[in-house]
Amino acid sequence: MKKHFIALLVLLSAGFILYGQTTDPLVSNCVMNAGPDSKYLKDFRIQLAKAPAAGELRYKTQMSFWKNTKYKFSLCTAEDSKGELILTIKNDANQVVLSSYNPKTGKTYKSLEFVCNRSGIYKLNYDFKDGQQGSGVGVISMVK
Amino acid sequence: MKGRSFIFLVFLVFVCFSCRNSSNKNSKFVFPEADSIPVGEEEKLSTEAIEEIARNISSPVEIANLLQSLAVPFSPDYLASSIDANKQTTSFDKAFTLGILGADLGYLNMYEKTNSSIDILSSIRKLAEGIRVGQFFDFETIKRLSLNKSNLDSLLFLSIDSYTQIDKYLRENDRGQLSALMIIGVWIEGQFLATQVMTEYPDPVLRDRIGEQKIILNDLLMLANPYCNRDPEFGVLCKDLQDIKEKYREIRITYTLGEPVSREVNGALVVEQTETSVVEMTDEQLAGIIDITKTIRNKLIANN
Repeated sequence: MKKHFIALLVLLSAGFILYGQTTDPLVSNCVMNAGPDSKYLKDFRIQLAKAPAAGELRYKTQMSFWKNTKYKFSLCTAEDSKGELILTIKNDANQVVLSSYNPKTGKTYKSLEFVCNRSGIYKLNYDFKDGQQGSGVGVISMVK
Repeated sequence: MKGRSFIFLVFLVFVCFSCRNSSNKNSKFVFPEADSIPVGEEEKLSTEAIEEIARNISSPVEIANLLQSLAVPFSPDYLASSIDANKQTTSFDKAFTLGILGADLGYLNMYEKTNSSIDILSSIRKLAEGIRVGQFFDFETIKRLSLNKSNLDSLLFLSIDSYTQIDKYLRENDRGQLSALMIIGVWIEGQFLATQVMTEYPDPVLRDRIGEQKIILNDLLMLANPYCNRDPEFGVLCKDLQDIKEKYREIRITYTLGEPVSREVNGALVVEQTETSVVEMTDEQLAGIIDITKTIRNKLIANN
C-alpha cells in the first residue's frame, strides 16, 4: 500500500506541474524578456510549414497603433525551427514602415521599437526567414 | 484489494485534474441553446474579420498608459463601482459588464492599484462563469499576482490573455454576439475613462486620442450590426453606437507624409515614423463626444 501512496504522490505532483504550465513557455519567456520598461499588449503564436516557393510573408494579421506611443516588437523563435521569425509592418497604403529583416544584408533583429506618430490600423506580416518551417511568438508591448 | 485501491486512486487523480480549468477542454462544455445564433445571422462577418476588429479596438491598457505618461493621477471615481455582478441576469448583461470591468481591471493594473482589483476580479469571475467561460480566466494566479504586486507584466499578460481566450472561444462557438458585447463594453469604458480625464486634465495628446477613435468606430458598428435586430437590448446598444458615430461625423483626420527613420540601439532596431496623423476637432465637437459617452455609459451600467 505504501508503494501505492508513493505512486499517488508522484501522479499528484505531475498533475500540479502540468496544471501550472497552461501557458506556452515560449510565450511566457518572450513576454518576460521584453524588458522592464515594456508593458504587454498582445502576442501572436505563429507555426508555419516550409513555403513551397519564396514570396510574401505568410502569417498576416492587423492591429491598431496610436500616435505618441512607442511600441516594442519581440520576436522569439522555437529551438526546433529551421528559420528565424521575421516581421514586416505596413501602413494602410501598403507601405513598409518597419521590417525586422534586411534582405540585402541578411541581417535580422529580434527586438524592434516603433515610435508611432500616425494613428491607424497596420498590417503585421510574420514568417520564418527564407520561408522556412518554424514555430515562434511575436509579442507586442508598449514602452514607457 | 490493494490493486483495486490503486486503480481507484489513479482514477481519482485523473478525475481531479480533469476538472481543473483549462483551455484544452473546450469540447467538454455544452452551452444553452438560447446563447446560440442561427448561422444565417452571423453571415456578414467571418470569425477572422471579427478577430481583426477586436484587435483594432484600442486596449484600455494603452489608454491607462497614456494617462500615466501625462501624469494624470489615479481616481476610483472613473470606475464602474456600482455594478453588482449578482444582479446581471441575462447573457447580454453579463457579457457587456465583463467588457466594462475588463477595462477597469486594465486601468487598475496599470496604476498598480492591485489591492483594489480583487473586488473587480471576483465580479469578473462571477460574470465569466455566468456565461460559462470561467475556465479561461486563471483567477487564482491573477489574484495572487495582484496581491503580491510581484510582476506587473505577468499580471497584464494573464489578464489580457484570459480576455483574448474568452473572446476567441465565444466567437468559435457561435456565440459571437457575446464576444461583440464584451468588446463594445471594453471600448465604451475606455472611451469613458479618456473623456472623463479630458474634462479634468485637458491635454492635446489625450484630445487627439479621443478624436482618433473615429478610425475604429465603423469597425465597432460592423461588429454589432449582425445582432442589432436580435433583441431590444441589442437594438438600443446599436442605436447608442450610431449616436456616438454621429458625433464623430464632422471630425477630420488628415495625414502628413514622411519616410520612417531607422537606427540601431544596443542591437535593437528603432524606427521613428515621420508621417503623422492630425485630428481636426472643435471644442464643441469634443464636448459633444464627452457628453454622449458619459450619458450612454452611465445608462448602460445603470441598467445593469
